[in-house]
Amino acid sequence: MGSPCELVCETPKRANALELTERVAAEAWRIEDKFSRYLAGNIVARINASAGATTEVDDETADLLDFAVTLYDLSEHRFDITSGVLRRVWRFDGSDRLPGAGDVAALLPLVGWHRVSWQRPLLQLPAGMEIDLGGIGKEYAVDRCANIVREARGGPCLVNFGGDLVATEAPSRRRRWKVAIEGESDAQPERIIDLKQGALATSGDARRFLLKDGVRYSHILNPSTGWPVPDAPRSITIVADTCVEAGMISTLAMLKGREAERFLEAQGVVGWCRR
Amino acid sequence: MSAKNHRSISLILAGASCTLLGAGAPTKAVAEEASAWDFNTSLLYYGEDGDRVKDFSVSAIAKRMFVDDRYLTLGLTVDGLTGATPSGAIRQDVPQTFTRPSGNAAYTVPAGVLPLDDTFKDTRVAINGSWQQPLGESGLINLGASASREYDYMHLGVNARYARDFNRRNTTVSAGIALSMDSLDPVGGAPIPLTPMLDVGDTSNRLGDQDKDVFDVVFGVTQVLSRNLVVQANYSYSMSDGYLTDPYKVLSLVDGTTGDTLLRTPTPGVEGPSHQFLFESRPDERTKHSIYGQAKYFMNGKVLDASYRYMTDDWEIDSHTVDLRYRIPFGEQRYVEPHLRFYTQTEAEFYRLSLPDTEPLPAFASADYRLGNFDAITVGLKYGWRTRSDDEWSIRLEAYRQTGTVPSSQVIGNQASRDNYPDLNAIIVQVGYRF
Amino acid sequence: MNRTMLAAVAMLCLGTGCASMGVEPWERDVLAKAEMQLTTDELEAATDDHIYFSKEASSGGRGFGGGGCGCN
Repeated sequence: MGSPCELVCETPKRANALELTERVAAEAWRIEDKFSRYLAGNIVARINASAGATTEVDDETADLLDFAVTLYDLSEHRFDITSGVLRRVWRFDGSDRLPGAGDVAALLPLVGWHRVSWQRPLLQLPAGMEIDLGGIGKEYAVDRCANIVREARGGPCLVNFGGDLVATEAPSRRRRWKVAIEGESDAQPERIIDLKQGALATSGDARRFLLKDGVRYSHILNPSTGWPVPDAPRSITIVADTCVEAGMISTLAMLKGREAERFLEAQGVVGWCRR
Repeated sequence: MSAKNHRSISLILAGASCTLLGAGAPTKAVAEEASAWDFNTSLLYYGEDGDRVKDFSVSAIAKRMFVDDRYLTLGLTVDGLTGATPSGAIRQDVPQTFTRPSGNAAYTVPAGVLPLDDTFKDTRVAINGSWQQPLGESGLINLGASASREYDYMHLGVNARYARDFNRRNTTVSAGIALSMDSLDPVGGAPIPLTPMLDVGDTSNRLGDQDKDVFDVVFGVTQVLSRNLVVQANYSYSMSDGYLTDPYKVLSLVDGTTGDTLLRTPTPGVEGPSHQFLFESRPDERTKHSIYGQAKYFMNGKVLDASYRYMTDDWEIDSHTVDLRYRIPFGEQRYVEPHLRFYTQTEAEFYRLSLPDTEPLPAFASADYRLGNFDAITVGLKYGWRTRSDDEWSIRLEAYRQTGTVPSSQVIGNQASRDNYPDLNAIIVQVGYRF
Repeated sequence: MNRTMLAAVAMLCLGTGCASMGVEPWERDVLAKAEMQLTTDELEAATDDHIYFSKEASSGGRGFGGGGCGCN
């Protein structure tokens, strides 16, 4: 998941908390092992190495691909799980090293969901193209784990994977979870949110950006140009019923660049933007 | 402009999320930005029995949190005081007449009744503010100021405190300092100490404004002893300098054999005191030392708060205070907290029940019951509850009782048959609201 | 000789004892509760301090001397 993951439980029995933590951790690792692009041998690795051949995927992978398609449509093709190849030339390490225009242009023929053939359960990627579920995977894992907690009647719990989180219930005495959203620096929380129940997800460029000639380039790339979406907010935090919704709304808003706030207002969601 | 209606995006997304996650409709999210402000307000009634002091008070503290553990605290209290307080004169078997502190009128106390002075209808306003922020890795600094005003008294003060954590925040050492500059403008003017109470309209023995400065220093150590137990120990030093006398209190000048208050021949045609009374006199300096210890112990949901304080000063007053509170929760949202407090003090070196005419006048003398030898007990009960919106209400009811004794060497003649020490009985009712 | 050694050992124990007394950061759950703070209610504490300062000869202890009024 690329970040610290925790489960906070309010329960009178220590044994319950430990057992629940093991189940949640097991599910998180299962999803990580299955969908991480960094691991060899999993479904994503097989798809990415298929070199133009058709791959048959299982139900869970198919559900995620269907979801990705919905997002591709809703975002006017700006959310595209085939845009992962662009990381070969974009390294968001806070430096001023931008890639050359030619390098980016060379990769564009390998980006674009419209080139992919998806007929559930058969997926066919042209040779050289890759899929990357990193934009959905973490939030999906948080929601799956929250469901495990609810089904196990775990009581008030907070599933928190690096700031993408779900609260199943309000804690019985304090009546809300206090979540701090990062501000400019680690030491300075921008805001504190009272979360009774529901999901919170944040899209931000706190650590992943490039800075050259006073212009800040966020890591949100426009797949049709291969370049970062201009004028994106520095950070967007959204509240929603599920973590995937919260995460995707914040991603969709980021992709709107300078229209982000208008988009969020039109959607009527509870959220906070920082520029 | 997109062909899709902006509003429907979140609905489509909600539907798609449901499909992806499979398990039925999730619970509706409830979240909002936390308020940076914290308020603590209260309404207080303090009432002594009979015609004695009654006080109504409204207080509020507002605390605002800023980034990085910084706090601004502002407090306001408004008090309305009525009722009478013992003037220091002793009971007699005959009526007694006194001149009011203002010097403008007189009042008469029936035979056998403890003389009370009811001049104190007064309103007091007090404000205070402080700023707290971390200092370094494990330090904390707090700077504050306070001011208060009532018709005959004004207070201005500043204070500072530094605290530092050690030992993984298990030990905290702190040092604090406070300076007060107070000024008094008593009604009618401060009387020259140990001079007689004069006729109505005679203010020849009065002085102007008076000042009083107080310097306080506190050193403390807090230590976590276990997961359920934390203790604190403090040492305080206090130095008061200036006008420490109570300008409204008197002593009865009595016959050295009978113990009865000496009569006074009033000036013809003018109202004035019926007996001889002298205004009290206290030293212009007072040094106090206190040590204080407190423990808070968590026992399976209940919390015991026990503290002890020992005070000694150069007026020869020694006191011991034991305070016990026991909080018992009911469910997650309510609690009751019984409270018990024991207090005892020895009299000041210059405390006198009365001044016998057979002895030379001492340098300092006061009949103020608050400098006498007494025991006090407080018994109280507090009930608190949390509302759905996470606000907290509390109500407490306390009874305070003071019983004193006059050193037997000071009881003269007929005084032995009378009830000399003005015992105190008071009730305290306080309603609090935190949000 | 024995007395000095005993004293030295006692001091050492006290010293190291103090250093190891307390709890780990993750054991602070109870101590973090509002009702376990040394002053649970600032307003109630200030009220009591003021009442007892007005009616008794002692003041403070927990914090500063209190007072600052012409209370009778």
